[in-house]
Amino acid sequence: MQPPAEHVHWLFATGFLILGLCLLGEAIVGPDVWRTRAWRAYLWPGIAFTLGVLMFPVMTFFTNSTIHMLAHGAWAQALMFAGAAELGLVRGKLTSPWWRLAMAFAFLVSGTAFLVHEQNAWFFQRSSFLHHLMGWTLVIGAAVPLARCVRPRSTAFGGAFAATFLLIAVMLYCDRDLAPIFGHLSPLAGVQHR
Amino acid sequence: MRRLAVVALLALAFPAAASAHATLEHATPGFQQRVETSPRAVVLGFDQRVTVLPGTIRVVDALGRLVSAPAHPELSGRHVVAPLHRLARGPYTVRWHVLAGDGHVVSGVYTFGFGVAAPPPTEAYGASGPTRSEHVVRWLYFLALALVTGGLGCRLLVVRGVLPPRAEKRFFLLTGFGALAAIDIGIIGFILRAEDALQLPFARLLYGDLTPIANGTRVGTAFVAMTLGFAFLAALLFLAWLTDRTALLWGAFALALLLTSGLSLSGHSAADAGSSWKSELADWVHLSAASIWIGGLVQLAVVVLPLAPELRRASFLRFSSLATVLVALVLAAGTYLSILRLPHVHDLWTTRYGHVLLVKLGLVALALAWGAFHRLVAVPRVAAGGEGSLASLPRSVLGESIAGMAVLLAAAVLVDSKPPPRGVPAQTVARKASTLATKTFVSGRTPRLRTAAGP
Repeated sequence: MQPPAEHVHWLFATGFLILGLCLLGEAIVGPDVWRTRAWRAYLWPGIAFTLGVLMFPVMTFFTNSTIHMLAHGAWAQALMFAGAAELGLVRGKLTSPWWRLAMAFAFLVSGTAFLVHEQNAWFFQRSSFLHHLMGWTLVIGAAVPLARCVRPRSTAFGGAFAATFLLIAVMLYCDRDLAPIFGHLSPLAGVQHR
Repeated sequence: MRRLAVVALLALAFPAAASAHATLEHATPGFQQRVETSPRAVVLGFDQRVTVLPGTIRVVDALGRLVSAPAHPELSGRHVVAPLHRLARGPYTVRWHVLAGDGHVVSGVYTFGFGVAAPPPTEAYGASGPTRSEHVVRWLYFLALALVTGGLGCRLLVVRGVLPPRAEKRFFLLTGFGALAAIDIGIIGFILRAEDALQLPFARLLYGDLTPIANGTRVGTAFVAMTLGFAFLAALLFLAWLTDRTALLWGAFALALLLTSGLSLSGHSAADAGSSWKSELADWVHLSAASIWIGGLVQLAVVVLPLAPELRRASFLRFSSLATVLVALVLAAGTYLSILRLPHVHDLWTTRYGHVLLVKLGLVALALAWGAFHRLVAVPRVAAGGEGSLASLPRSVLGESIAGMAVLLAAAVLVDSKPPPRGVPAQTVARKASTLATKTFVSGRTPRLRTAAGP
């Protein structure tokens, strides 16, 4: 009954892609134009929060290892927390700009979870490489939401913030084996198992 | 820089050899399968090539006797086969560990039965049952459940009106904390259960296969349902705070009450001999009423009394009436369950379950005495308009709630204890429990076989 792991990765990759595109749109046209329609302000934080809620079924139904379950639990809660803080800021329920640090915190936690979760070396296989890359992207990328706390209207930081999510989306799309759709590209990939 | 870009592109272009470490895709006999003919071998199929290690598959009977021969790989190394001796009827435990392509040792445990129903993997040979850490974790889980259920119950049934902003904020903080704590404590509790079943040191537990426990046991089903439920409840709470819609709190309260049944459906009231829908219902009423009572006291002491001066008189009087009903429900359901689990009065002092129940009853008496003081002394004073009595109420209410929390600790130990089997005198059970044979699948108390290298 479980969907293949590839499909789950692609679902979340799509979520991050949409989230990144929303942020990119906001960075390009500026927050004032972006928020001419009030609902748009809720769009990307709402997606982040929803992705966090959706991560919980992944955590509970894919239990082939403890470390896998713990990492997904950390991502789920980090996403929900960061999305909730941003929604609170948009709605005016939270007023301190320091709440934006929630996203930096979520990046740090998520990046650390990637790095701890991936116990293999960088070049062991493609997914190992991408897990390391995603982990370090998020850990180093935590500086971007940190900078946005200080300069919330900066186009450069807004663009970098969007780019982080777009990068994560691309890496998630590439993270799993392509065999279910395209077949193996190389005999080195082993026997097709789906 | 160009070289780095080429390496990155190549890594992205070539498909991965496998999706991380090895995953067990199928097993013969299957998880908790009952077979009617003696199987000739245990066959494990993985999603990738694995390396067989010494003792890769060990199949033991209810007495811990090894019934399998050394395992060997088949089908390009993706299958591992362990031939079996001719089996006698009974339950069997399969413990396996293989070296995956990524260099990690992946481990797992499951059970099957030949001619008998297989026990859940949490009762596999070698599993020793709940530990002290699990008592503490279960207690913390009860507290989290009380914070959520009692907090929402107090807000909706007692306070009813609009809270001042500071009180409202503290209410959401406490209840939200309870929901998140329930998720995280639930995860810790599940991993502790799995650790006991798998009998692995922590480093190897990280790569332990939890699927047979998550999918094949009541504990696992409750873990999945309650984690998802509390995640959804946390989302509802957050949306209620964000949009100021109390209607969402009703949904969260209903969900919290529903989730309380998860413990009833996975505990003694559902699993032990003599259980029925009546025992499950009684357990749910017992736990729900206790959660609303104790969690409500916390809300009253920490939120309403100190931060909502204009609401505290009405709230206290209303809570007092509600608490009377809740205590009556707790006592009625608790008495029924005690009689069901301990049919003989002497079980109270001859069994461990009875001893814990006595401690719990003592603590309940303390909490009830404190509640009676509030009902009989404080309520008339508050109703008469005495401002002085209102000033000292938060501390006194907090004291009652701490007594309630102590009751929950005793309840946590009680839930993890095994009541004596129905129809068997307690002395016989105690004598039997000292033998290795019954330790394995009857009493839930078994010797630990943990070693540094694992089984």
